[in-house]
Amino acid sequence: MNAPIIDPLQGDFPEVIEEYLEHGVMKCIAFNRRGTLLAAGCSDGSCIIWDFETRGIAKELRDKDCIVAITSVCWSKYGHRILVSAADRSLTLWDVMKGEKISRTTLQQTPLQARLHPGSTPSLCLACPLSSAPMIVDLNTGSTTVLPVSDPDTGNGAAPPSRNKFSDGSLPFTPTAACFNKYGDIVYVGNSKGEILVVDYKSIQVRAMVPISGATVIKNIVFSRNGQYLLTNSNDRTIRIYENLLPLKDGLKTLDNINETVDGLDGVEKLKAVGSKCLTLFREFQDSITKVHWKAPCFSGDGEWVIGGSASKGEHKIYIWDRAGHLVKILEGPKEALIDLAWHPVHPIVVSVSLTGLIYIWAKDYTENWSAFAPDFKELEENEEYVEREDEFDLIPETEKVKESDVNEDDEVDIVTVDKDSAFSDSDMSEEELCFLPAIPSPDIPEAPEKCMESLSKLVESNNSGSPLSEEGEPNGRAMNHASSPLEEDAGGTRVKRKRKPSEKGLELQAEKVRKPLKSSGSRSSKLKNKSVVDHDTGNGLYGDDVSDDDN
Amino acid sequence: MANMSSGSQPPPYEPYRHLKTLNAHERAVSCVKFSIDGTLLASASLDKTVIIWSSANFALLHRLVGHSEGVSDVAWSYDSHYICSASDDRTLRIWDALSPTGECVKTLRGHSNFVFCVNFNPQSNLIVSGSFDETIRIWEVKTGRCLHSIPAHALPVTSVSFNRDGSLIVSGSHDGTCKIWDAASGTCLKTLIEDKVPAVSFAKFSPNGKFILVATLNDTLKLWNYSTGKFLKSYIGHVNRVYCVTSTFSVTNGKYIVSGSEDHCVYLWDIQGKNMVQKLEGHSDTVISVTCHPNVNMIASASLDGDRTVRIWVQDAHD
Repeated sequence: MNAPIIDPLQGDFPEVIEEYLEHGVMKCIAFNRRGTLLAAGCSDGSCIIWDFETRGIAKELRDKDCIVAITSVCWSKYGHRILVSAADRSLTLWDVMKGEKISRTTLQQTPLQARLHPGSTPSLCLACPLSSAPMIVDLNTGSTTVLPVSDPDTGNGAAPPSRNKFSDGSLPFTPTAACFNKYGDIVYVGNSKGEILVVDYKSIQVRAMVPISGATVIKNIVFSRNGQYLLTNSNDRTIRIYENLLPLKDGLKTLDNINETVDGLDGVEKLKAVGSKCLTLFREFQDSITKVHWKAPCFSGDGEWVIGGSASKGEHKIYIWDRAGHLVKILEGPKEALIDLAWHPVHPIVVSVSLTGLIYIWAKDYTENWSAFAPDFKELEENEEYVEREDEFDLIPETEKVKESDVNEDDEVDIVTVDKDSAFSDSDMSEEELCFLPAIPSPDIPEAPEKCMESLSKLVESNNSGSPLSEEGEPNGRAMNHASSPLEEDAGGTRVKRKRKPSEKGLELQAEKVRKPLKSSGSRSSKLKNKSVVDHDTGNGLYGDDVSDDDN
Repeated sequence: MANMSSGSQPPPYEPYRHLKTLNAHERAVSCVKFSIDGTLLASASLDKTVIIWSSANFALLHRLVGHSEGVSDVAWSYDSHYICSASDDRTLRIWDALSPTGECVKTLRGHSNFVFCVNFNPQSNLIVSGSFDETIRIWEVKTGRCLHSIPAHALPVTSVSFNRDGSLIVSGSHDGTCKIWDAASGTCLKTLIEDKVPAVSFAKFSPNGKFILVATLNDTLKLWNYSTGKFLKSYIGHVNRVYCVTSTFSVTNGKYIVSGSEDHCVYLWDIQGKNMVQKLEGHSDTVISVTCHPNVNMIASASLDGDRTVRIWVQDAHD
């Protein structure tokens, strides 16, 4: 990876909208493990897989039986399968590579969220229906196991732990959140009484309980990718981070051990005692001024940052905190409510879905690193006092020529061994991961005459800075002055990339270069491009945009 | 078998011998490349065509016709299904290598001068191309649209390629610089060489992406460690003053650097010792391009107008 030469001085969280993706009305998103593909569930029942590198559509999973909105999408660990839950109470498991449906299960109620077991070839999933207890669904057999949502001792309204159908006589539950831990042996349930229950789903037993202060309904519960931290989002407008004290593997055995140590207590008290050894409260996040409810909070890929979207309608705000509890940034988007949020597993990129169905990609604001162009120069943050050597300016001609490499040319070079990627330490090479879908070039339609495309390009782009330098004297000079406006809308709803902000020096040089023909490699052109996002064959004609077939 | 670890005596070097000469182009051959799985060999020529050969028996499988000017470079997708060719007619063409008729699937337009070099990324969803119009363009394979157009250099771009995970692009140019770019954003991450002379004629990442092999038009090949920005090895003995001669790594049986040369020979150097181990003679003009088979000890070389052939060299296996 290019880790060694990326500038470490830039902060690791996104700042501006870089791009937006449009295809129908998208409702929910999920990255695959490496962040190379983004799955998006749409309101028409299809699931689109975007190739995140090219920002184009890689695959579309469409089932003719399912025409209602998708409520959640979830990838399997190695990216071979996707689980899609829809508003018609169905759960569909897809084979990503082939684009075929593997199985489809219909539940009693529409699942708001469905999570695949985090193991390598999952056949189990955790579904959280709209108003009943979460359940484990076996996707092969279709059988469901309802999980307990409160301690059985407290009686009233507890969900029957047997495999019966949900009986209408019991109390209706508000949506209950649940999630697997990192290796999927324990389920953490956040119930409507503000308690986190540690549930062993194989024996359908609540093993521990952690009450949250305020005892308000828990809306979301989510683990960080490394399994060390647990996040809960409660109705009291607070996001809480808990540290997971249980070991990542063998959690159940540890629970057994703890159980033994906690003698003399019974029932709820015992569960709470065990619970206190499973999770400890680490941080709380809230906005005490606006007291906003949170939506779709989650961790960053490395667990260093926490983001939460504001649930207020009419605003698209994303709050970013570092794990120490400081609010580092509030990202503000266009005035559309936010419905889903995800942090890229590897890069400092955040993806948010707005109510209008667009996906916004937030990334860091790139400033040109001028020392990249001069190998011997290093960019300094501020002035450094330079103290010269005693003989620095002495005239000794022989020592001028010290350009000989002082590198030992006899050292062995290893051109074949590959470094293990430390960010994904838990990938046990047992199964091959699906990182990308093969890109099949869609055939060109018989070309329209050249004339047609040229005039099209002149109409569509008055500011085509994608054209190479030698043709025009000053494409870059003009474009660069828009550094202050990060996002420009273009007529026709085509997708537009924000422009890069040049550093100070860049702006100076641009001013000079406007007069002379651009020859140096130092200038940067902004990336204003009009592209049609949707992959349909007729779109091919539009690549004429970038043509500057000026035969001068 | 043959391992070059320090301490043990390396087995005696078994020389490559000439196996076959493929004569099917009507003008200079500009590039040869084995497919990633090794089953096919592609050769591009100034006669405006690309020929696909079987690497088992070297039968001519397809002749891809469509460019209106000579072809300078050709690249295989990583599933060996598609070929992309770069031509002087300012376009790039993506061909389906497996289709029986050798049809052109896509044409990528956008450059305003000869397109000189091309490569796929390992995921094969992107193509990078370098051109005489001094820019580098990154294209999306699926739709053919240009994702980035980078005003990279001050003179024609002679070579572009991706690293192992597709996150970086290295480019070399006649302006003497060799630069590394971030593939996702198109920003320049580093400049390896900045002297105006000699021109950089070729640059390529090592198989593990840690080193860059750079050829310059002063008869030198250097192996750079790009994170430290220092070169570690240099290989000399061949002639390279005028043409953009390509070179490559040979890793199937010991580690070597293989390069063409303007004195009509193919040179092989031991990568660690930097000594020239063999000089393959037979061509009658500059050897402009060499490629190594991914699994078998086989080298293919291509030569310019005075010769117009592709020659295959094999190394017999050790006992």
